[in-house]
Amino acid sequence: MNIRWDYLLIPSFVVSFVLLASSQLTFLRGSLSADLGLGMLSPTIGTANYETLFTDEFYLRSLWLTIKVSAIATVCTLLMSFPVAYVIARMRSRWAMVMLAGVVVSSFVTIVIKVYGLIVIFSAEGGLNSLLMAMGLLDKPYTIIGNVPGVVVGLMQFTMGFGVLLLYGVVRTIPVSLEEAATIHGASRARVFWRVVLPLSLPGVIVGSLMMFNLCMGAFTSASLLGGGRVFTLPVLIQRAVIVETKYGMGATFAAVLLVSVIVINLVSVFLVKRLRAARLVIA
Amino acid sequence: MRRPSLGSLAKFVWIGWAYLFLLAPMIVVIGSSLDGTKAYTGVVFPPHDLTLQWYKQIPATHFRALGLSLGLAVSVAFGACLLGIPAALGVVRGTLPGKSFFLAFFRAPMQIPAVVTGIAFLRLYYVVGDATGLFLNATFAGLYLGHLFVATPYVIGTVVAVLQRFNVRLEEAALSMGASPWRTFRRVTLPTIMPGVHAGALYAFMVSFADVPIAMFLTAPGFVTYPVELFFGIETDFSPSVLASASLVILFALVALLLVQRVIGLDTVVHSRR
Repeated sequence: MNIRWDYLLIPSFVVSFVLLASSQLTFLRGSLSADLGLGMLSPTIGTANYETLFTDEFYLRSLWLTIKVSAIATVCTLLMSFPVAYVIARMRSRWAMVMLAGVVVSSFVTIVIKVYGLIVIFSAEGGLNSLLMAMGLLDKPYTIIGNVPGVVVGLMQFTMGFGVLLLYGVVRTIPVSLEEAATIHGASRARVFWRVVLPLSLPGVIVGSLMMFNLCMGAFTSASLLGGGRVFTLPVLIQRAVIVETKYGMGATFAAVLLVSVIVINLVSVFLVKRLRAARLVIA
Repeated sequence: MRRPSLGSLAKFVWIGWAYLFLLAPMIVVIGSSLDGTKAYTGVVFPPHDLTLQWYKQIPATHFRALGLSLGLAVSVAFGACLLGIPAALGVVRGTLPGKSFFLAFFRAPMQIPAVVTGIAFLRLYYVVGDATGLFLNATFAGLYLGHLFVATPYVIGTVVAVLQRFNVRLEEAALSMGASPWRTFRRVTLPTIMPGVHAGALYAFMVSFADVPIAMFLTAPGFVTYPVELFFGIETDFSPSVLASASLVILFALVALLLVQRVIGLDTVVHSRR
C-alpha cells in the first residue's frame, strides 16, 4: 500500500493559482486603462499610460534609480552579512546563539521602527553629529535624510537580517572538513576562502542576492521616509499615484514596469551564471 | 590553536561594525524613549533624565493596530502552514512530472516586488467588488489573503528543504509493519518535517508582522496594521511616546525569540532554511 501524495498538491495549487492569476491579470488589465480622475478608470483598453511612462525622462530616470539603489544596497548588504553569517556558522560556542538572536530580532522588527532610529541617529542636533563636530571631524551636521545614501542605508537595514539568515543556511551546507583538508595541505586562510569557501557558497550567494535585490525593488518605506520627498524610486511613485492621487491606472503601469524589470533581471542573472558555469569560469 | 593575527583583528572589527549597524537603530529607539528632558525640542539620544512617562502616553490607536498586526501575523502563519505543508509533500513525494515547474510556481510570489503585490490585490478587490458588491479592501479577509500569498512560499521552501533530506525507508517501514497511511503520516512523516514547519511559520509570521508595502494598499484609516500606523505617524507626531510603543514591539520581539529558543531551539528553526 502506498500513500498518494499527489492529491495533496491540488488544494494548495488551486488556491495559489487563483490568487496569483487573478491579482496579476486584474492589475495588468488596469495598467491598460487611462485614469479619468477621482479613481475612475477608462473602460477602453489603450497603451496611453505606457506611452506617458516611456516618453517622460523623469519616469525612466526613476526606473534606473530604483535598479541602481537596489543593486548598491544588495552588494553592500552582501559584503556585511556574509562574514557575519560565516563566523556564526563556524562558531562552536554558545555565543553563536546570542549572535543569531540579534539577527532574528532585527528581522522581526519592522523597518519603520529602524527608520525612526536612523532619523534620531542622523538628526542635525543628534548625538552622532554633535560628537563628530566636537571632535572636529565635521564642521556642519551630516545627514542621510533626503539623499540617495540615506535610502541605501535604509534598504540595507531592511534586508540585512534576512540576508544573514539566508547566508548562514548556505555556509552550514559546506562541510568544515573541506576547509580543514585544504588547511592541512598548506593552504593559507585567504586561499581557503578563495578556492574552497567562495566557490562552494557561490550558488547560494547568488540566489540569496537575487532575493535581497527583489526585496529592495519592492520596498518603498526607506525611500519614502528617508528620501524626504526627494528620492523618487518607482515604488515611491506607485504609492503616491495610488494613495495620494488615486491614479490607479498609472500606478498599475508603474507596477507592471517594475515587475517586468525584476523578472528580466532575475532571468538574465540566472542565464549569465549558467553561461559562466559552462565556461568553467565559476565552479558552481 | 591559531595565534591572534592582523587578519583576525580585522575580522573582529568588521563583525563588530556589522552588528553595530544592525542593532544601533533599535538601541537608539529604546534609549530615546526613556528620555525625560523637560524642555522638549526633539528626540534625544543618549537619554538625559530617565523616565517612563512616554510609555503612559502611548496613543490607544497604537495598541489597536498592534492587536490587528499580531492577530493577522499569527493567523497568516497558521494559514501558510495549512497551504504550504501539503504543497511541499505533494511536490517532493508525488509522482507527477514537472517538479521543477511546481517549485518555481510556488516560489513566484517571492519574486514579485511587494509593492506590486499590494496594488495587484487592491485592483483585484475593486474588480471583484464592482462585479459582486463584495469589497474586500480594508477588511481583515482582504489583508489576510494578501499576506497569505507572500507568506506561503516560505513554508513551502523550508518544508521542501527538510523533505529532500528525508529517508523514505522510515515510512515504508511503518507501512509494512501495518500502520495505516494516516498513522504513518502522524507518527513518522509529521514529526520529521516539524523543524521545517517551525521555521516556515516563523518566517511567515515575520513577513506579515513587518510588512508595510502590501498592508499600505489594503488598509484604510481606522483599520491599519502597526507598521502602517507608524509609517503615517512619522510625519504627523514624531514624539517620544511613538518611540515608547516602538520599544515595546522590540521588547516583544526579544521575548518571542526567547520563547522560540526555549520551546523549539533557534538553531533548528534557522538551520532548516535553504
